[in-house]
Amino acid sequence: MLFWVIAAILTLGASLAVLLPLAGGTKGSSAAGDHDLEVYRDQLTELDRDMARGLIQPAEAEEARAEIGRRILRLGSASQTGAAAPRPSRAARLVATAAVLAVPLVSWGLYGELGSPDLPSQPLAERLAKSPADSSVDELVARAEAHLAANPSDGKGWDVLAPVYLRLQRYTDAVTAYRNAIRLDGDSAVRQAGLGEAIANAAGGIVSAEAQDAFEAALKLDPANAKANFYLAMGLAQEGKKAEAAAAWQKMLGQLPPDSPWRSAVQQALAETTGPAVAAGTPANGPDAQALEAAQQMSPQDRQAMIETMVAGLDDRLKQNPRDEEGWMRLIRSYVVLGKADQARDALGRAVAVFGADSEQAKKFTAFAASLGVTATE
Amino acid sequence: MTRKQKRLSVIIAGLAFLGAAAGLTFYALGQKASYFYMPADLATATVQPGQRIRLGGLVEKGTIVRSQGATVAFSVTDTQKSVKVTYTGILPDLFREEQGVITEGAFGPDGVFVADSVLAKHDERYMPKEVADGLKAKGVWQESKSQ
Amino acid sequence: MVETGHFALVLAFALSLVQMLLPLVGARSGNRRLMAVGGPVAVTGFALTALSFAALAGAYAGSDFSVANVWENSHSLQPMIYKITGTWGNHEGSMLLWVLILTFFGALVAVFGSNLPETLKANVLAVQGTIGAAFFLFILTTSNPFIRLNPAPIEGRDLNPVLQDLGLAIHPPLLYLGYVGFSICFSFSVAALIEGRIDASWARWVRPWTLVAWMFLTGGIAMGSYWAYYELGWGGFWFWDPVENASFMPWLAGTALLHSAIVMEKRSALKIWTLLLAILTFSLSLLGTFLVRSGVLTSVHAFATDPARGVFILCILTLFIGGSLALFALRASRLTAGGLFHPISREGALVLNNLFLTTATATVLVGTLYPLVLEATTGGKISVGAPFFDLTFGPLMLPLLAIVPFGPLLAWKRGDILAASQRLMAAFALAIAAMLVAGLFIDGGSVFAALGVGLAVWLVAGALTDLAVKSGVGSVTPAVMLRRFAGLPRSVFGTALAHLGLGLTLLGIVGTLSFGTEKILTMRAGETVDLSGHTLRFEGLFPRKGPNFTEDRGRFLLISNGNADGEITSAKRFYPARQTVTTESGIRTLGLSQLYLSLGDEGKDGSVVVRLWWKPLVTLIWGGGLVMMGGAAMSLLDRRLRVGAPARRRKPAAAAASASPT
Repeated sequence: MLFWVIAAILTLGASLAVLLPLAGGTKGSSAAGDHDLEVYRDQLTELDRDMARGLIQPAEAEEARAEIGRRILRLGSASQTGAAAPRPSRAARLVATAAVLAVPLVSWGLYGELGSPDLPSQPLAERLAKSPADSSVDELVARAEAHLAANPSDGKGWDVLAPVYLRLQRYTDAVTAYRNAIRLDGDSAVRQAGLGEAIANAAGGIVSAEAQDAFEAALKLDPANAKANFYLAMGLAQEGKKAEAAAAWQKMLGQLPPDSPWRSAVQQALAETTGPAVAAGTPANGPDAQALEAAQQMSPQDRQAMIETMVAGLDDRLKQNPRDEEGWMRLIRSYVVLGKADQARDALGRAVAVFGADSEQAKKFTAFAASLGVTATE
Repeated sequence: MTRKQKRLSVIIAGLAFLGAAAGLTFYALGQKASYFYMPADLATATVQPGQRIRLGGLVEKGTIVRSQGATVAFSVTDTQKSVKVTYTGILPDLFREEQGVITEGAFGPDGVFVADSVLAKHDERYMPKEVADGLKAKGVWQESKSQ
Repeated sequence: MVETGHFALVLAFALSLVQMLLPLVGARSGNRRLMAVGGPVAVTGFALTALSFAALAGAYAGSDFSVANVWENSHSLQPMIYKITGTWGNHEGSMLLWVLILTFFGALVAVFGSNLPETLKANVLAVQGTIGAAFFLFILTTSNPFIRLNPAPIEGRDLNPVLQDLGLAIHPPLLYLGYVGFSICFSFSVAALIEGRIDASWARWVRPWTLVAWMFLTGGIAMGSYWAYYELGWGGFWFWDPVENASFMPWLAGTALLHSAIVMEKRSALKIWTLLLAILTFSLSLLGTFLVRSGVLTSVHAFATDPARGVFILCILTLFIGGSLALFALRASRLTAGGLFHPISREGALVLNNLFLTTATATVLVGTLYPLVLEATTGGKISVGAPFFDLTFGPLMLPLLAIVPFGPLLAWKRGDILAASQRLMAAFALAIAAMLVAGLFIDGGSVFAALGVGLAVWLVAGALTDLAVKSGVGSVTPAVMLRRFAGLPRSVFGTALAHLGLGLTLLGIVGTLSFGTEKILTMRAGETVDLSGHTLRFEGLFPRKGPNFTEDRGRFLLISNGNADGEITSAKRFYPARQTVTTESGIRTLGLSQLYLSLGDEGKDGSVVVRLWWKPLVTLIWGGGLVMMGGAAMSLLDRRLRVGAPARRRKPAAAAASASPT
């Protein structure tokens, strides 16, 4: 509301700036000739000064004086001819009215198109000072970040923030936060497992050696840590050791309490690994925990659709940014897992083309694909 | 000399001056402008050793070798061909593997490009324009819209 | 508040439309009420633009990331000073600054132009309004800084780290004051063409604006050069980069304009040429804006590559340059020629100055645009750099600099070159002596160095000679001399200072290029290095955390005569928000010279690449620029420039009397 009042006042002021001179009388003013005369007179006195200082020779000064004199004479004759005082015409009044109207019309019209009048200013300090209940997750995170920037050695703060990052899919930040928490507050199975999960997700779902280390560290502290066990098995599955993965998951099923949230995840994974034909072992693009959970609650058809969407997304990304070695390998494997051998072969072909047939990467791709049972056709 | 002749001679002198300046400008453009090449272009173009050119492309992965002192050797590639470059001095802050660079200098007799200046982009969101255009023309690099 | 700023901007656009039309119609039809609208509208337009700019600056200061422009170019952890300067450290904000300055100058004309003839003032304001309208429209349609984000992101993406610097904070405003200052000269020229007549006092009104614009442009270029020198870490002060050339071309043309306006003002000659030059100078400013803002040149200045913007600015460029030149072609013949002069005279010298400067401008223009034209037509890519400009711009400047000291000593209308030469004998002898010393006795001396030093000394001594001759040194008693010196017009001091500054800049350039030394080496903590008589000990790298960056500081101990003489630090900074590394060079000023060092990559064994320069007299490059600015300021104070208003206290009869030959 305040904004509209200000806008109205501004518009009024601007309109007045146009209106007042139009309505007001005009004072008498000098003709251009008077200005010129003043200048010529000054030129003459300056000529004298210059001559006194030797900047111009007397003969030339005489000439210059004559030149200026002639100009003054010309001025006199000109000013007598062009002194017609025109009256305000109707056209002029029309133009003036249009101008006065144009100011509010143009400004309100254009602002209506461009502006966001309902959006208040949101200075950061004000947003952070709001009560936590009204804040969005982003704002809470920002507040925590500001706190940690000031007190970087607050291990508890990092510990709280890390899983939040994980949920927000800010995996690299999650990795840093977990590392800081471990450095400051010491090892714990939960933190190590979280770190592993963050590393794996940052790498797009691949349980890398680094992630494995973290999970193993977690198991050392708590052999029954479900997350670590689950992901380690997933790593096995990703390496193609499906039997071992299945065994690990089977073992988990035996140990997990009946109400554990992991139970269903393990069962799903198990079903997919050992299941017939269309088994989706690894979600291609490493969905975060939420997406995983969602996938686990879906019907098999929906899950398949979701996985295929993710694979298509990966494929698209590689088209935009083809120099992504791991991405290509993930894509090839995903197609194999989905049972789309043609597309896997196609992906292999494209990957090789990007890096060049003789490149080291190409050899790696070919070998990798061969291990999955895919061979280049050409 | 009459007044007219005087004026004429002033005008002629002025024109001669402008003519000389124009001549010098175009001579300098021919001689001193350095052409821009990508490594693959060098196969078709004839570049004499010692001729100043600009060579642009990506810094090839794994080719950066720092020897004694401040001399650095690396390869510039457009993914089809690559050219060995040596440079003595401080590399720009944005000089990295697989980042676009423009080097300026000349080929030595041994076929190694000796650069006396290496430019990387100030703002790393952008490639050097010539490099980006060149890579696009070769179909290697596409502008990603996500950035 | 943000939306108030947005609304004020739109309102300012609406007013600029009024300013464009009403005074023009008024001047055409002789309607004084319509003409009178120009002034108040210009002032109100400026107030609204200032409000709009303040709103944007407020959003930056408060890190209001609901404004897209703030989100893209700011970060909550940035120091407050860079938050505020970030307002114009980006495309949209800098364009807003551009129109702010434009409307500011328009308001100045409105407020201080009460002594202008009515129609001229109306036309000038109308042309200013037209330029304003075009740029307001450009901002609102393609570069609106007030686009909002909802919901607002919680953290910004940070200002480009190389722009987080005080030097760069003042560089754009200075540069724009210069660029846009020439718009007033342009408006005056176009107004004169519209009227079809040039008042005798025209040059007197235009010259102060030229001086103001030239002064700020000089400062802006010097600042930009110094920024590039210490921030980019290469130790160079001028790269002949197209973006630098874009600011240098208006400067060269503006310098020519400054000189030709003197002739016009004093002798009413060169009217048409001066008019054309004023148009060209602002056209080059617009061209500079186009080159920098359109993204035609990809460089740190091209904040974004957006074809819509390029096309829009190109349209503005075509409209104003084409329109004004067409008007010039139509109307120039109606303007009368002025006084006559002999080729060897003050006027002649100033014409020669113009010839050289405009030709030099043309070579820079060719060198800047040729690569663009070639790429557009044949697709060939070339770069035109220092070698080209050394060969073309250099030979043009040398003779010009050599004749500079003669100019002020020549009489108007017909000068005596012999007498002037005699007066310059002392300066000449000094220059020759300096040349010999530089060429023979200083290490690193070369023909180029000797010539350059000689020329620089010649300029400085020539400027001083001018002052000495005009105050009568050698011909009158010291008392009279002092009185005369004090009584010299300010413009004489202005001329001498500007020429002196030019000499100092040249001396700095020659000193740095010819006598500077450079070393590149790898150093380990504890090692020392000698450079031109200075010893530096590398103390090692020390990590440090800044507000929005982390850095590795290399500390070097300067040892003079065996004693520690302070520390120089150079740093590698990492800005996490943009994942960018910058190098902060370490500079120590010793007298007029500087030790400059910059840190390279760190080796695996803890050694670090270090590049050191000894740059003798380097500060003179920018110091000379400051002196030139001082010269312009001095000229501005000259009482002559305040003449032009009809003085009612004197009777016309007096004027008539003085007009008759005495």
